[in-house]
Amino acid sequence: MLFLTKLVFKNLFRSKSRTIVSVIAIAFAVMVVVFAKGLIDGMIESITADHIYYNSGHIKVVDGEYQKRERLLTLAYPVDGLAGQGLEEMISSLRNVEGVEMVIPRLKFGAMVSTEEELVAMSGWGINPDQELAFTDIEDLLVEGRMVTPGRQEVVMGSKLLAKLDRRVGDEVTILFNTAFDSLRGVTFRIVGRLETGLKILNELAFYLPLDQAQQLLYMDDQVTELLLVTSDKKLVPQVLSRVQALLAESDDRYQAFGYRETSDLIPLMDLSAAIFNSIYIFLVLLSCIVVINTMLMIVKDRTKEIGMMSAIGLESKNIMRLFILEGAVMGVAGSLCGAALGHLLNIYLSKVGFDYGEALSGMSSEVIFDTMLYPVSSLRNTIFAFVLGTVVVTIACLIPARRAARLEPTEAMRE
Amino acid sequence: MALLEMQGVKKIYEQGKIEVPALRGIDLTVEQGEFTTVFGPSGSGKTTLLNMIGCLDKPTAGRIVFDGQELGELDKKGLAMLRRHHVGFIFQSYNLIPVLTAYENVEFALRLLNRYDQKEVKARVLRILAAVGLAGLEDRRPNELSGGQKQRVAIARALVKEPKLVLADEPSANLDSKTSEEVLQVMLKMNQELGTTFIFSTHDPLVMKYAHRLIEIRDGLIAKDQRREQDAVLN
Repeated sequence: MLFLTKLVFKNLFRSKSRTIVSVIAIAFAVMVVVFAKGLIDGMIESITADHIYYNSGHIKVVDGEYQKRERLLTLAYPVDGLAGQGLEEMISSLRNVEGVEMVIPRLKFGAMVSTEEELVAMSGWGINPDQELAFTDIEDLLVEGRMVTPGRQEVVMGSKLLAKLDRRVGDEVTILFNTAFDSLRGVTFRIVGRLETGLKILNELAFYLPLDQAQQLLYMDDQVTELLLVTSDKKLVPQVLSRVQALLAESDDRYQAFGYRETSDLIPLMDLSAAIFNSIYIFLVLLSCIVVINTMLMIVKDRTKEIGMMSAIGLESKNIMRLFILEGAVMGVAGSLCGAALGHLLNIYLSKVGFDYGEALSGMSSEVIFDTMLYPVSSLRNTIFAFVLGTVVVTIACLIPARRAARLEPTEAMRE
Repeated sequence: MALLEMQGVKKIYEQGKIEVPALRGIDLTVEQGEFTTVFGPSGSGKTTLLNMIGCLDKPTAGRIVFDGQELGELDKKGLAMLRRHHVGFIFQSYNLIPVLTAYENVEFALRLLNRYDQKEVKARVLRILAAVGLAGLEDRRPNELSGGQKQRVAIARALVKEPKLVLADEPSANLDSKTSEEVLQVMLKMNQELGTTFIFSTHDPLVMKYAHRLIEIRDGLIAKDQRREQDAVLN
């Protein structure tokens, strides 16, 4: 066996150009697999994280009716406590549920600003700045100024929204909105911070203001539109969700709790895409196998006489087969190793630089939580997956030429 | 006991719907230590006969007994094992593995036996290479050797495992007469010293001059089977 292995390695250098072309084909396919897997994982991670940060938390608690009309940003179905006990008590009860680490209140409402040219529609988010800074990545997005401070009439807006309104940090802006009593109200706020992000909802649509100010201006003291529950690990969501649902069911059936997956259309879609892509990766590597199979078939043809000789002097068919499978496997390992390493390095680089899909996704609705900056994930697991996939698929593909070689009758082979 | 017995051996090849008989009923006995030449015109069935003798092919009819073993009872693996241990082949076009050195080409046949340790393998390979006059050329690859040297490597590969039978198909076809003579001398020496049975398929009068037994094949049948006294062979 050792001698055959030595022969395999010597044979690999027999036709260097063929071996190199095969190794490059495998390397390219494996590199694309590592890159694509990193990209898809990056998209899923980004979509999931943004959805959790800026829409649902790990678990979202809302009034059942509000959920149906959420897009209208209605103020008619607030979260205002369990069975009339008040919001603070409700937050406290939810925080006591095993697995819940943080309860974040948000008060979202529709608003608009009139410029000389147009009426700009917006979405106001009343928040507790300390909690938002602790839970989300908003601090990284705050490129100018600071976060809002409770008790002050100030707002933080995205760059594009500021551009639409022709305002800068430090300027004032008068925002119109409907109160909980459906009365139209206009209030002037100072702009204290600017967000720069690929998330259109934060860049173009929403603005932050202190929760106490939102409650006061909307006449919604001790009320919010949603409570976001944060767990220590999103894998714990199903267990924690059932505990929260049990608490709500026994305390106040107005409210409903949803896990983050239930409130997103994109996450299940991306999971499905990932599953589909897993099959595509196999096809991609199989495509590169055509080069390897072709090379190996040419090798078998070139060495037909030699195979006949080896068979004549007593090398069994299974060992002839092993000889060619091993040759393909070595090419598979070499190509997969190069491809996996290159793909990994590429992902390390791109995970820092990212891709800007802003232009391509310019027509997408601002309400869709999808960051136009995509950062592929560089993960050792993906790299190992692609390496193993490349090696295994190429080795299996080599069964075709190897079987052809093993089936050659020595008398016929030597007549070639 | 004879090394080889063939009784009523027939071989018919099918080319589409046409049946082409290559051997029409061969009865042949070869004793251990014979130095035999099979000759005849092209298409007479020489190569088919050698394939049958060398356990490379199975007859359509008849029986072949090699060293007491009925070949018809063996499967593909069994035939491969028999060839591995008891039959050496010398091919007209050498069929050396180009990426292996002369030493490694010879070593290959011995490694298949899985019988000797590294030290013993080395000793045997070097001994046989020296015997065929290739001492000092062990590390050369086939493309660095002359035609005669390549054929000697092929002979060494066939002989290194000390088989009971060596089959040589036109061993002198690519050699000049001087080299042919040298190569035949080596084989004759092996025949005399180790008692190895040699069967040649050839048209070369030089090879026929060395043979103790001349078998003429015509139209798939033995037309003539002539034995000569060993002393008379080279005179």
